[in-house]
Amino acid sequence: MGRAGGEDHLTVPSATLLGQSVLSGVFIGALYGLLGLGLSLSWGMLRQVNLAHFALAFLGAYVTFQLAAVAKVDPFVTLAITAPAFFGLGMALHWFFLRFSVTLLNTLLVTFGITSIFEAGIQWYWTADFHRMESAYAAVRWKLGPLFLSLTDLVTLGFALALALGTWAVLRFTDLGKAIRATTEDAPIAAAFGVNEKLLGYLVSGLAAAVAAVAGLCLALNHTLAPVQIYAWMGVVFAAVMMGGLGRPIGPLVAGIVIGVSEAITMAVTNPTWAPLVSFSLLIAILLFRPARFS
Amino acid sequence: MKTALAVGGIVLCAVPFVGLPAFYESFLYLLLSAIVLATSWNLLSGYSGYFSFGHGAFFGVGVYTTAAHAGQLGWNFLWTLPLAALTATVLGVALGAVVFRVRALRGELFALLTLAITFVMSTIALNAVDGGPGIMMNVDMPKLAPTASGVLYLLILAAAALTLWTAYAMYHSRFGTGLFAIHDDEDVAEVMGVPTYRFKLAAFAISCALAGLAGGIHAVFVSYVTVAETFSIALAVNVVLMSALGGTRHWLGPAVGAVAITLLLYAFTSGQAAVIGRALTGLILIVVIVAMPAGILGEILKRFRTKQAPARPVVRDFVSANAKQESGEPLLVVRGVAKAFKGVQALGGVDLEVRRGEILGLVGPNGSGKSTLINVVSGHYAVDGGSIRFEGEELVGMPAHRIARAGIARTYQIPRPFPQMTVLQNVALPPMFGQVVMDRASAEEEAWRWLAFTGLEAKAHRLPSDLNLHERKFLELARALASRPKLLFLDEVLSGLTPVEMDGALRLIRAIRGQGATIVFVEHVMRAVMELTDRVVVLTYGKTIASGAPQEVMRDPQVVGAYLGAAHA
Amino acid sequence: MLEARNLTVSYGAAPAVVDVSLEVGAGDLVVVVGPNGAGKSTLINAMAGLHAVASGHLLVDGRDITREAPHRFCERGIAIVPEGRRLFVNLSVRENLELGSYRAGARRARDDSLKRVCALFPVLGERMDAPAGALSGGQQQMVAIARALMARPRFLLLDEPSLGLSPLIVRDLLRAIREINTEGVAVLLVEQNIAAALELARRAYVLDEGRIAAQGEPRQLMSQPEIQKAYLGT
Repeated sequence: MGRAGGEDHLTVPSATLLGQSVLSGVFIGALYGLLGLGLSLSWGMLRQVNLAHFALAFLGAYVTFQLAAVAKVDPFVTLAITAPAFFGLGMALHWFFLRFSVTLLNTLLVTFGITSIFEAGIQWYWTADFHRMESAYAAVRWKLGPLFLSLTDLVTLGFALALALGTWAVLRFTDLGKAIRATTEDAPIAAAFGVNEKLLGYLVSGLAAAVAAVAGLCLALNHTLAPVQIYAWMGVVFAAVMMGGLGRPIGPLVAGIVIGVSEAITMAVTNPTWAPLVSFSLLIAILLFRPARFS
Repeated sequence: MKTALAVGGIVLCAVPFVGLPAFYESFLYLLLSAIVLATSWNLLSGYSGYFSFGHGAFFGVGVYTTAAHAGQLGWNFLWTLPLAALTATVLGVALGAVVFRVRALRGELFALLTLAITFVMSTIALNAVDGGPGIMMNVDMPKLAPTASGVLYLLILAAAALTLWTAYAMYHSRFGTGLFAIHDDEDVAEVMGVPTYRFKLAAFAISCALAGLAGGIHAVFVSYVTVAETFSIALAVNVVLMSALGGTRHWLGPAVGAVAITLLLYAFTSGQAAVIGRALTGLILIVVIVAMPAGILGEILKRFRTKQAPARPVVRDFVSANAKQESGEPLLVVRGVAKAFKGVQALGGVDLEVRRGEILGLVGPNGSGKSTLINVVSGHYAVDGGSIRFEGEELVGMPAHRIARAGIARTYQIPRPFPQMTVLQNVALPPMFGQVVMDRASAEEEAWRWLAFTGLEAKAHRLPSDLNLHERKFLELARALASRPKLLFLDEVLSGLTPVEMDGALRLIRAIRGQGATIVFVEHVMRAVMELTDRVVVLTYGKTIASGAPQEVMRDPQVVGAYLGAAHA
Repeated sequence: MLEARNLTVSYGAAPAVVDVSLEVGAGDLVVVVGPNGAGKSTLINAMAGLHAVASGHLLVDGRDITREAPHRFCERGIAIVPEGRRLFVNLSVRENLELGSYRAGARRARDDSLKRVCALFPVLGERMDAPAGALSGGQQQMVAIARALMARPRFLLLDEPSLGLSPLIVRDLLRAIREINTEGVAVLLVEQNIAAALELARRAYVLDEGRIAAQGEPRQLMSQPEIQKAYLGT
């Protein structure tokens, strides 16, 4: 990671380097937004803070890796398995929260426990070693002027945009989406007009978890996997969700990209290991100057 | 009891001199370290309910402070320990100062920010201090014991003793009671006089200091400090688990949990087993949260509480604190007070006056702003405009806990007792934070008086959930009275009571006025208003429309119209 | 017919409604009056499925719906205009109305229903895309009533629609309610503003401390001393 003796210079990067950095920042930000989508939905709409979302995404990534490496299954095809399976897991989690009347703060703790279990399970099966999925897609790249674009990055951006916009459209234009928004605001009155809160809850949980499966695919395509990384993503994705707005599908994506680009520029200009500070500083800045965002 | 502690203390101190194999010394070290970390975590998170996931960050700050100064700069090891504690404290206070002010999302926000700060601190430690390869701790140890590990053991033993003593002292102090009140209902605690912001910050500071101290000692224990090992997330999970398992509501709970979990984890020390150990801790955490929310100690104590016979101190006759008030002069003057909520103008310029020693009735149709007025005077909400002067002092802009100190108390229309505190503890809280700041013992004596006054003595050691509505309303009343307020707002104390219970309540209210309190009485039950009040003020649409003697006012055509509605064509 | 039989409803630990029986026939216009704290809101909320019933029965055309899930009450032809409006403030006026017609039976007739409510409350047509929270109190009340009408109910329940509104607006609202009733929708109205309510109703119940204190013809009731005493204590 860092250079021994850690001397930090501020370097002025070339235009190409800067451009490439911004581009990679956009792509990593898209992944933040993709991970944040599921989280934002369950936090904003179901009042559940689901830390296990990250463990689930990583599980999806590992399963994709496994099926691709061992069974030679095309990574995109694995989605046909993971997405429905995770949908079921999401519903099961929601059932658990309902059954034991878990309060909001306790959902944090319970999902923290679930994360530990998942993480241990992943490490037990796949060990703590780094794993990188090899696929034909990884090699596909294009040149845009002096900049490089890889297929897998575009796939991530594509998924993030499609799912965020798709969710936004459903919430905005369909009866179902309006019912979800109404239930979030005032569940008893929504029920008085025929909206079945429980059913919608299961649907939203299932969907959030299915989105985790998609995020897992993108993780596997683009990144090296290690169990300890599950926690590393939590901070920055939560920052994106808090900045982008709870219950909003597009906000976290925009916030994620802002964070990603800021991190990338920071890395190009100074020592890369300072990157984790960026999201945290942005969040603290918002807390200091615009606390009303959170009320 | 004291001798047992002394003997135990001596035995523990003797350990390094006995010549045990290093394995046992190590184990005891880890056990004591776990006790320090879990107990210190609990001081903020368990007591006040603000769950921190960043205890590892403050521990890590302590580790790196000592590593940097003793390991890299060659300072004397012992001197780095207070520095480690201080550095962790400064960091915690800086974070808390920003976060504790935000009203909404406070619980989750705090949890997530503290989670994030672990990564932030690890980044800073990596870049600014470590540089990558870690720090080798070739440190001279003070000659307190025959072996180096023995010295570390004694240091952590001292830290554990300090931490447990701090937890014990806080638990039994005003400070601790305030934190527990914040846990149960922060807004009500603030209105009852608890300086919530200050208390949270102080608890956080102490918690961080102790974690930093443990970290400083740990730097030498591991002898080779790396970022990855120090800032691992496992610590964050484990302290939460230990405290939850043992019981977060008691000062000794986390220690109990720490012993249990350390023993458990020690059974899984190697390779694959460590992974199983982590999975197990996750599982236990889930089970504890869902099935045993009070923790081991909490569940045991619950059994004890029901068997305990109520200990009753002798209640002397009390002299009213406010009996010397002269009646008739204005005590509270409200001018032009306005308050809007999301477009609804709840109060649109209210003028009224409350005179010393009177019982003033505040009436008006539903939605006229009566409860909002109480909320605004007591500081629960801020006003948009206008002035509220109490004994000449301007209340607008004053934090709610200072308004309580000035001598204003209120009941809640729907009773809001602190759910996890007993009836006695509920009533004992305001005297600790009210006008006259009492210590816990005197506050409890005072509480007994008011329990006797409202007839709740027999239920003193029960939880509010065991009371029926009538008793809970009287609990609200006793709690409001316990701080001997100069001005008392009663918000619909009578609704939901049977006629017999109501007569009892009316008698009680008259007796309260006899004690020298001035009372503002918001009520719908008209017969009570007629019987009890000296003057009546009528509110409609957030404005005062009439005031005067009850019989007159209620016959005023404007008032009749407001209540019954003018006939429409 | 919508019927409550020996209904007892608790509010927290206290009984708020005790052994209340009332009925609203097809096309009826019934009013429940009573002082604050009498239990009127609790009663109407229970009848709309918003509040659990401790004992007694709720029947629609003879069918017992007491234990049905809250989201099923709408299917039975009951729609509520709750106390304080309780609009979905972050949704637009249009979306609020669309949600009113969420149930399958009402969804099909949505366009027709929209036309009708706009004819009833012309100002709505102008503010369709505004967020519901941005409207004035009187306009919000209109949206709340319109939302309930979008459900094509047979029984419209209104909980203190005049709350916090000026007399002029109240007059318009009551006129609208009368018009709705003329078109065949049965109305159960809970009001604190008795004079207005009694002018409107064909039958009235007086609720005091959770029980029916009086019932019958409005004009009759107005002159009775019980009402004065309950409301004004004189």
